[in-house]
Amino acid sequence: MKKKVLATLLASAMVVACLSGCGNDSTTPADGTTTGGDTTTGGDTTTGDDAAPAAPVEYGSGTITIWVAENVVEFTKAKAEEFLAANPDMSGYTVSVEPVGEGDAAGNMITDVLGGADIYGFAQDQITRLVSAGALCPIVADNASFVTSQNDEGSAKAATVGDMLYAYPMTSDNGYFLYYDSSVVSDPTSLEAIVADCEAAGKNFYMEINSGWYQPAFFFATGCELTYDTDDAGNFTACNISYATDKGVVALKEIIELQSSSAFQNGSSVSSGTNIGAIVDGTWDSGAAQEIFGDNYACAKLPSFEGSDGNTYQLSGFGGFKLLGIKPQTEEGKLAVCHALAQYLTGTDVQLARYNEVGWGPSNVAAQKDAAVQADVALSALAEQLAYTIPQGNYPGDYWTLATSLGDDIIQGNLSTSSSDDDLMNALTTFENTCISYAQ
Amino acid sequence: MNNKSMKKKRAISNAISYFVLILISIIWLAPFVCLFLQSLRSYTEGGGGMVEYLLPKQFSLDSYVWLFGEESKFTRWYLNTLIIAVCVAILQTIVVLCVSYALSRMRFKGRTFLMRFWLILGMFPGFLTMICLYFLLQQMHLTQAGAIPGLILISVASSGMGYYVTKGYFDTIPKALDEAARIDGASRARVFLTMILPMSKPIIIYGALVAFMAPWCDYVFASYVAFGYSDSYNVAVALQRWVWTNDYQGYFTRFCAGGFLVALPVTILFMCLQKYYVEGVTGGAVKG
Amino acid sequence: MGKEANSGKGKKSKGNSNGGFWADFKEIGLTFKEGDWKTRVSYLIMGFGPLLRKQFLRGIAFLAVEVLYIFYMVSFGWGYLKDIGTLGTVARVVNPNGTFSYNDNSFFILLYSILSIIITCAFLLVWRVNIRTNREAEQLLAAGKKLPTVKQDLNSLLDGNFDKTLLALPVTGVFVFTVLPIIFMICIAFTDYDANHQPPTNLFGWVGLENFKNLFAFGSTGFGYTFCIILMWTLIWAFFATFLTYFCGMGVAILINKKGIKFKKLWRTILVMTIAVPQFVSLLYVYKMFANDGLINSYLLKWGWISTRIPFWSNPMLAKIMIIVINLWIGIPYTMLITTGLLMNIPEDLYESARIDGANGFQMFRSITLPYMLFVTGPFLLTQFTGNLNNFNVIYLLTQGGPSSMALTNGGGYTDLLITWLYKLTINDTNYRMAAVLGIMVFVVTAVISMGVYNILPSVKDEEGFQ
Repeated sequence: MKKKVLATLLASAMVVACLSGCGNDSTTPADGTTTGGDTTTGGDTTTGDDAAPAAPVEYGSGTITIWVAENVVEFTKAKAEEFLAANPDMSGYTVSVEPVGEGDAAGNMITDVLGGADIYGFAQDQITRLVSAGALCPIVADNASFVTSQNDEGSAKAATVGDMLYAYPMTSDNGYFLYYDSSVVSDPTSLEAIVADCEAAGKNFYMEINSGWYQPAFFFATGCELTYDTDDAGNFTACNISYATDKGVVALKEIIELQSSSAFQNGSSVSSGTNIGAIVDGTWDSGAAQEIFGDNYACAKLPSFEGSDGNTYQLSGFGGFKLLGIKPQTEEGKLAVCHALAQYLTGTDVQLARYNEVGWGPSNVAAQKDAAVQADVALSALAEQLAYTIPQGNYPGDYWTLATSLGDDIIQGNLSTSSSDDDLMNALTTFENTCISYAQ
Repeated sequence: MNNKSMKKKRAISNAISYFVLILISIIWLAPFVCLFLQSLRSYTEGGGGMVEYLLPKQFSLDSYVWLFGEESKFTRWYLNTLIIAVCVAILQTIVVLCVSYALSRMRFKGRTFLMRFWLILGMFPGFLTMICLYFLLQQMHLTQAGAIPGLILISVASSGMGYYVTKGYFDTIPKALDEAARIDGASRARVFLTMILPMSKPIIIYGALVAFMAPWCDYVFASYVAFGYSDSYNVAVALQRWVWTNDYQGYFTRFCAGGFLVALPVTILFMCLQKYYVEGVTGGAVKG
Repeated sequence: MGKEANSGKGKKSKGNSNGGFWADFKEIGLTFKEGDWKTRVSYLIMGFGPLLRKQFLRGIAFLAVEVLYIFYMVSFGWGYLKDIGTLGTVARVVNPNGTFSYNDNSFFILLYSILSIIITCAFLLVWRVNIRTNREAEQLLAAGKKLPTVKQDLNSLLDGNFDKTLLALPVTGVFVFTVLPIIFMICIAFTDYDANHQPPTNLFGWVGLENFKNLFAFGSTGFGYTFCIILMWTLIWAFFATFLTYFCGMGVAILINKKGIKFKKLWRTILVMTIAVPQFVSLLYVYKMFANDGLINSYLLKWGWISTRIPFWSNPMLAKIMIIVINLWIGIPYTMLITTGLLMNIPEDLYESARIDGANGFQMFRSITLPYMLFVTGPFLLTQFTGNLNNFNVIYLLTQGGPSSMALTNGGGYTDLLITWLYKLTINDTNYRMAAVLGIMVFVVTAVISMGVYNILPSVKDEEGFQ
């Protein structure tokens, strides 16, 4: 009866010891490496890139984790190692590249900033979320002028929240256009014709209408507007929206009509689609699309459609960018290395090499002028589409959920061809008001 | 005459029964057959993506070859899962046996309180505490690179609460046996180790089997703890991403092949030990 | 701290146990009054008495606990505990050179504060045991008996006190990895821990009942309406998932058990495969099969059975039915296994006499089989029901809660259960405050149903019933 003491003691001692041990670690957050052994002195001898970091005396040592999409893991690893080899003063660092897709990266960074990667790729729409969660390090001075001087204007703007630059643009191809099977689709310029061709051939036409990214193609086409203003901290201050208008109703009706076609399928991933006749998708799927369409592989800008008001509208959409961000660092040396490495990975040469490797369209102005890039089928379709898109700004996370809800309402028939204009207008008014409520 | 019609009636009823059973078997097996067939589709056909027909036009082992090739970490993930499953099966069984013996055989103060307290704890949904567990593990450096031991720790740490079935089994072993041995001078520990345990083979196998099977399915917590470190993934986390993330184009047949390879050993093991499983499940159900 | 759960025993303890908590206090006072100086010093320096009475093992252990506790509180615990009122005041700051310094982290302040409180409770308990040890030793000495030696102490851990040995680690594990996190998350329900207040960059703080008000707010962004819809579906789902599977499983078991059916083992084995194959494989594949552009729709179209594709997953009603049906596929084998054994336990002569009375198959099922089965499996059904309330896999691997609608807010979908909604709030929105509130609601629902049903179960009321 008395010996429960012992068990209690053992148990509590174990816990106490264990937790106080861990505690010691956490109370001194990662300042161990500043006095790393093999640091080289004499900073600003960086070879290669023009914008050398502001020359801290020692870079220190450690590991730099990089998260990029699966298909560029090997590529990024090779390039990062190339960079370190070319900069012996930074050789105290090793890189570890992990496959974390652009979608997951933001979520994981936000869950645990300190456990996240030092450098990570993400799609532009996540930037405000990341800034307000404190997962992005601001880019200032020389580093900022590197970004603005080397990349196209849209991409630099996409990396900006409020007045502060937060990321290095990596690609300028985060938009969508039409892939089609040229043996099925005869006229890729008209949505009605494409759908009719697919119906006749028993093929499917894919577009993800319940995604906040693809859906605005219709609304922007008819002239509706949806943008958000943000402040420096990544808070949304105002919403500029004009969905609940006659134009909005025309767009909504067109989505509903498209959805009612037997050839229509909701989706935007080549390899999860079946029997594809045409699909609205981006450059990242170009490999898979070539595989599926074979000799009949073809690309075009998005088609136009004839609205219920008799006018013809060209489908619009978002022009977006993929960015490379740096996590806020606690050590000056590592911060400098991260900046230099991120610059290298988004510089002209690497962007071109990345295009050659996986076909991602460069955001770097010099790389965009390259002959191979100019001749790319998918990229030229995208470039053609670019004239009709709006550069994607910042949107609150709730917007994407709301857009999915609107799309789902259409797909499940709550909004259908039999809905009256008033019903549609009501739905759009709800949508608009909810969008506005996300900005305070 | 009456007898004859009875016979006829029975024959008809048997025929119907067989028909229903065959139908059921088809429904139950169909998804697995489809999965297997898809995994044999050549990569050149549909680029490894989804197709709308069942029988591949071109059979090949492309996907399997790829899984075991240089490019993929499938073997690593498979081993991870196997390590977790084996460790969890052993440690969890030990913990559960200890708790069950104490609760079944010993009468100590706070026993009913403990059992009620655990019952109430069990009513909180497990996912509620995900973020907290993540940071607890992170403080012990058991996330990302250390995710494998971390996952084992989490599964084992709270497994004491799942004592019901085993305790129910111990309750059915007559106490008189214990008493006799104790009169002969055997200690509690001796009774437990040399008498009760050998008699509990079925329930031990049942417990270990259930514990072994769970990690193969663990997607939610495994992905939460191992994110950003693909060497620590288990098969569920890795394969799930192939289906849900758009980054992975043309991975559908590979998913099917991987899924088949995951299902195979677990199924075989399960079939071999089915007898014990049935015993455990039935006993547990009646005990409540 | 491992024995915290047993605190009940401390209170009721000591032979003359009628006073509970107060008796405890009384005994502490009495021990001090009647004890010798060794005992009295032990009030301050734990283990002092046992050490002087040559009970070295106990003495050192008590002393070690005290030293460790003080060390823990001074070096670690108090630093967090003192901030529990505010959960931190200084967030992350930017240094002139572009690096960042992290300061107060609300998350760890709260977590370690709770831990410190638990450890303090455990320490007080050990302190109490320390006093009792002294008293018992004195009583033994007064009666002229010998004190247990170290060897006896150790041996008792394998015999009389074997339960302590067995339970020490499991109970500690539960405390650190279940109790601590649950208390932590309950606290989170009263804070504003969400995407905008996320440590280490930002701080979060106490907000009182605001989150609970938000749960029952019926505005355009409030949780109220969505919560009601999802709660309803959760209950409906759990009901159908439990009882349909139960009766269908029993039906299949009866079918296989039927006299004259051959290959009984084969049929069972085929069914049981769904238990063995990991659900993430089977369910993900089944989801793809029934997709709008999946196998089933394509074949039905090809054979001309349908002219338009069946929206299995995008129509809310159909999606709900599909989930319940596919859950049958998952659940029937399980209930079949359980009922098979039980059905054979029903005495055959009951059926014989019913048959002589002219009862047909259905009547026999209704008046003999069913009552017996319900009686025996009552508790099983209850655990199945509460399990289904939280059946994450089937829902999430199939629809991920979709389809959604503008009528629903905050990411909820028509097939979401409370638990999947909670998961999505955690993963997609990092809205931990509302996830915590939902978690508490899940607990309330589960507890109410369990307690309510448990007390009316026939097998609980009447243990001897069918025997």
